[in-house]
Amino acid sequence: MKQVIFSIAMALTSLVCCSQQEETMKGKINAAAKHNISGTIRNKITGESIIGATIKVLNNREAIISNEYGFFSLTLPEGNYILEISYAGLPKLIKEIHLFTNLTSDIYLDEYSKTLDEVVINNSIPGRSVSGTQMGTERLSIQEMKYIPQLFGEKDPMKAIQLLPGIKAVSEGNSGIYVRGGAADQNLILLDEAPVYNASHLLGFFSTFNPDAIKDITVYKTGMPAQYGGRLSSVVDIRMNDGNSQDYTISGGLGLISSKLNIEGPVQKDKSSFLVSGRSTYVDLFLKLSNDSIINRNKIGFYDLNAKMNFTMGKKDKLFISGYFGNDHLNAGDNFGLYWGNTTGTLRWNHIYSNKIFANSSLIYSNFNYGINLKLGANDVNIFSQIRDWNLKEELQWNPNAQHTFRIGINSIYHAIQPGNVTSSLTSSFNNVVFQKRFSSENALYFSDAWKLNNKWNLTYGTRLSGFSILGKGDFYNLDDRGKITDTIRIDEGKILKTYLNIEPRLAVSYLLTNSSSLKASYVRNTQNLHLISNSTSARPTDRWVASTNNIKPETSSQVSLGYYKNLLGIKYELTVETYFKGMQNQIDYRDGSDITDANALETQLLYGKGRAYGLEFLFRKKSGRFTGWLSYTLSKSEKKIDGINNNEWYNARQDRTHEIAIVGTYKLKKKWTLSANWVLYTGDAVSFPEGKYNIGTETFFYYTKRNGYRMPTYHRLDLAATKVLKQKKRFTSELSFSLYNAYGRENAYSITFRDKKAEPLKTEAVKTTLFRFIPSISYNFKF
Amino acid sequence: MLAIISRLKIKIISYGSGRLSHGQLWLINCKKNIVTFPVFIIFFLIFSSCEKVINIDLKKAESKYVIEAYVSNEPGDCKVHITQTVNFSDPADFPGVPGAVVTMQDDNNTPVALVETGYGMYESKDINGTEDHTYSLLVKVNGQVFTSVSQMPKQVNFDSLSIVDFRSFDGNRKFANVTFDDPSGKGNAYRFLQYKNEILNKNIFVLNDDFTDGRINNSLLTYFDRTYEERIETGDSIKVEMQCVDFAVYKFFSSLSQSSTGSSDNVSPGNPVSNIQGGALGYFSAYTKQKKIVLAK
Repeated sequence: MKQVIFSIAMALTSLVCCSQQEETMKGKINAAAKHNISGTIRNKITGESIIGATIKVLNNREAIISNEYGFFSLTLPEGNYILEISYAGLPKLIKEIHLFTNLTSDIYLDEYSKTLDEVVINNSIPGRSVSGTQMGTERLSIQEMKYIPQLFGEKDPMKAIQLLPGIKAVSEGNSGIYVRGGAADQNLILLDEAPVYNASHLLGFFSTFNPDAIKDITVYKTGMPAQYGGRLSSVVDIRMNDGNSQDYTISGGLGLISSKLNIEGPVQKDKSSFLVSGRSTYVDLFLKLSNDSIINRNKIGFYDLNAKMNFTMGKKDKLFISGYFGNDHLNAGDNFGLYWGNTTGTLRWNHIYSNKIFANSSLIYSNFNYGINLKLGANDVNIFSQIRDWNLKEELQWNPNAQHTFRIGINSIYHAIQPGNVTSSLTSSFNNVVFQKRFSSENALYFSDAWKLNNKWNLTYGTRLSGFSILGKGDFYNLDDRGKITDTIRIDEGKILKTYLNIEPRLAVSYLLTNSSSLKASYVRNTQNLHLISNSTSARPTDRWVASTNNIKPETSSQVSLGYYKNLLGIKYELTVETYFKGMQNQIDYRDGSDITDANALETQLLYGKGRAYGLEFLFRKKSGRFTGWLSYTLSKSEKKIDGINNNEWYNARQDRTHEIAIVGTYKLKKKWTLSANWVLYTGDAVSFPEGKYNIGTETFFYYTKRNGYRMPTYHRLDLAATKVLKQKKRFTSELSFSLYNAYGRENAYSITFRDKKAEPLKTEAVKTTLFRFIPSISYNFKF
Repeated sequence: MLAIISRLKIKIISYGSGRLSHGQLWLINCKKNIVTFPVFIIFFLIFSSCEKVINIDLKKAESKYVIEAYVSNEPGDCKVHITQTVNFSDPADFPGVPGAVVTMQDDNNTPVALVETGYGMYESKDINGTEDHTYSLLVKVNGQVFTSVSQMPKQVNFDSLSIVDFRSFDGNRKFANVTFDDPSGKGNAYRFLQYKNEILNKNIFVLNDDFTDGRINNSLLTYFDRTYEERIETGDSIKVEMQCVDFAVYKFFSSLSQSSTGSSDNVSPGNPVSNIQGGALGYFSAYTKQKKIVLAK
């Protein structure tokens, strides 16, 4: 309660502050009336709203960015203005406005306003705002990632962001990420605001995000705005396309592994539209074609479906319905079947109360489940597990004047987790076991204000008050130091076992050094109440999500960052340097020899400790011209200290990679061809290698001394791609893309294992396994 | 394009951990055996993967004692084998440790001293292991003291042994199937040793009754064959020894097979959970022993 009062008090104080500010400003600058211009930035061809477009007032240096629904609102003194509207991959638009009354106007950016050649040259990628306070943010539009060469030619947004500083791939070819030294489960991955609990297909080799259905991907590595919360490391905010409101379009692609089809169009021109986008693998077909019974008895594959509709109802209201449905299956012979999938649904309502107040209400559903079917001799076992969320969000954005943008909102999530449900036939050796279902509610109240103090200083401050309540019905346990249960607490339905309250302050400040350079600093605190318990080094769908309990405390992190930003030669080049330190509390690890599938009291298997991560990130980007691309370098450290592991001493987290370099380049040739390449190099993961060996029975086993005391070999790889436009007509375009993954065939170590030598049984050897060398691919994409 | 790929020689790394270790069974657990096929297309899992022996500069670790101690319900079957760890690069001949003082105590009876019968091998014919008795082990060697306690469980009858045909994802196999009636109440644990024509299969087979408590257990002793010699073929004589072990021994063997085989891509590698106090590797198991033999058809 204290915290509630505190945050309300803070909100009120800030309101008072700003009204005072406004009055003094009025007195100083202009006595004339102020007016407001608001509206939505859209793509002229598709009618899609554009997230993160920059609206710059050329004659007074004001600049704002459209919000996640494309909406902007700008208040200026009466007068004539020239606006420059820009967005990645689209030509700039210069628009003159005469502001003598409040204006509401949608602004359209036109892809084909110029001939292709000119577009290329002017196709600048607007920079991150040098003056805004937001730091630690990486944004990629689908346009930008289109040409990045990727494994099997699949354009995967999650893999494209791995080429940016501070974001690392979980392992080779994997779509999972580590952000600034955090764990893979510490990323909040949102698809149209709905959390996606397992964002991977095919055991991690692809992400669940079909690029055809995606509009924009934003990663917050620090300074998460107050509207986001619930994970320690990052927020990956992915927004789906709304659907073309101007014209019907069918587009698609044939790839090596999967094919896609995307249909969109207006329901009522300019007012409402729909989008359906599907993707499916056909690996199974190939497996079936094989005459070899060893191949054709196995099955593997995935499909997913994105759908969205939006309706404009009058001038003030907009309704969006979007959904995602995806599923994977893996069958090995008759003995083993595994399926898993996510379902998300989002219902959103934008309402414009006035040209200064924008409101959004969302009702969000998210579900992840997996199932295993086993048949081993006489035994058949089915295991089912699920995590399901209902989530309600309400947010107001208020732009009282050009100095302030307020956000205030509430968020309430109900989680139901079914850790496992084992069923078996009567003749089987297995008992039917139902693990306890776990219920919890996660609530948050937040506010923030982006405040332009003057021409030099910007300040964003805010706080998020989060509460996590563990609900009945269920049995909870008290444990002793060794993890043994001392007694059981029974909580009835509707009762609360415990509520964890946390204040998460968010503070960011920027100082404009010159017109083209700035310094920024930020502080952010995050809390995480859902933990992915995994004892494997590779992410698996069967890893277990658990909520905080009386024993598992909320994970928390505090991060401070400092950054320098510079635009060079106008905005052709951009340089960013950021440094950070992050402390993490209540981190979770396993006891040695623990059994993750152990029934109810998973806590008996866990150990707790802390983590720390710090680093320096450097990004140099060329944003316009025929050649675009970037150079990114990260120097970082990530460590853990867990009671009961490594003699309670600090040790390197597996994802501790000291150096990481990525070079990404795209070159547009005259007419038809686009060439691209990327090269990555990083220090090998921190791993445990044995220093000794011994015998049990007649078999050799290995003796380990230090946790993660060794390194995998340095990793590096070059990928190449070429895209040829086959046809470019008004009604039909098609493209052919070729790519070559790991072009010089570097034998990177996926794993290093140890074993007895076959020829000389008294000797042992280390064996390196390499996954991907020279993987060529081809894909064909069309649109009409 | 596809034709090019189909001509690549691709390896599938079998995944699976042998025993039904609950839910995680079969999930990408790049285990030992690697079978090579000229495959048509099975890309994402180990696409044109290859293996190479490499040199790694591993530090030298301080040597540790390794104790394998057991007493069974077979009269006079009581042995303790003491060895030491060696450096990774040393030959794996693990010399025994002589000159230790080893005693074992049956419940509250007077401790019996074990006699050194070989290099590092200590035995006693004077202990007749009995179900439900608790055994205490004491080892003194070069100034270090190690202790352990193990309770011999009540014997659960080994009802039958058969050989079952199994349609695995990479071909047809034969596996031994053991049947026994698990008594009600969790905490029972079993270890199996499998011999093919009197040659011991090196895989670790352990079971607990977490999910099978109180039921007739039919369990396949599955494993991934590292060599063709390990496969069961028609005509082989298969012998299985069933041991009823205490839970700590189960934990030792299951953690040993999960994290110490050197090939674990599955779990953070580490040392097994030992039931010996004092800082030695190894285990002390008081178990009951039953054997069955069957001819593979």
